[in-house]
Amino acid sequence: MAKGPGYRMMVFMSKRMISCDEASFLVSLREERKLNFRRWWQLKMHLLTCHLCRKYAKQIGELNYSMEVYRDGCSHESCSHQLSPDAGSRIDKELNRELNAK
Amino acid sequence: MSDSNEHKLDPQKWVERYGDYLFSYALGRVNDSGKAEDLVQETFLAGLKARDRFRGASTERTWLISILKRKIIDTYRKKYSSKESAFGSHEETVFDGDFYRSEEPFRGHWLEGTGPNSHSLLPEGELEQEELMKYINLCIENLPAPLAAAFIMRMIDEEDSVTICKELSITPSNLWVMLHRARLRMRECLENKWLS
Repeated sequence: MAKGPGYRMMVFMSKRMISCDEASFLVSLREERKLNFRRWWQLKMHLLTCHLCRKYAKQIGELNYSMEVYRDGCSHESCSHQLSPDAGSRIDKELNRELNAK
Repeated sequence: MSDSNEHKLDPQKWVERYGDYLFSYALGRVNDSGKAEDLVQETFLAGLKARDRFRGASTERTWLISILKRKIIDTYRKKYSSKESAFGSHEETVFDGDFYRSEEPFRGHWLEGTGPNSHSLLPEGELEQEELMKYINLCIENLPAPLAAAFIMRMIDEEDSVTICKELSITPSNLWVMLHRARLRMRECLENKWLS
């Protein structure tokens, strides 16, 4: 029987299926750099068949998004913290002592 | 010109003007108010020492933040080197026994309860949004120190990988594995602590 492109594709696909640990690593890695074709394909195939990792990938996206909100949030009022008056005056005192020492 | 530079820095007013801002910035990254206060103080004192080098190219606040940033990185680095031996080669491998099954033929599959259960981590309303921010803080605190250092530098400080690797003396592949491990734990922590 002739081995057509479909067969070759099957061989290519089954050559190395990855498990959840590798798939979840690739979900993280793709945030850091572009995946090479082989890894991209392995991840794609894994996600196609594994609902847990699909969920995982979605949630990691949500985590990354939330971290952006977290990062930006601390520059506006609602998330800002205040230096306690005690700490403020203590630091002020230190600073002034250093200033006058000059 | 040195006169006008002197003019732009006003150390007498620093605590009043930037105290809260620097404190918030530090607290979002070190999760310990005592330590955050110390960092603010160190930043002001370092700023005072280095004020001749202030060129007026940035605002006073940006300049102070850049000093604070360095101080924060230093604390990560100290934490990192003190715990290094406890982690060692773990950072080389993707496999993490806390999350995946190790017995054949299921090696690499999610351990029960460590994979995702719920549908979404995102909050629905404004109030929940604030709540989520608190839990993010808590979950970062629960990360092992080296992972926290890498995760904070990457996700909050938005440093590039070259800088992070240099600061923590690790290779890019170490960093990728560490970020993966940090994300695994952050996701699990948020799902278990926040959504339950």
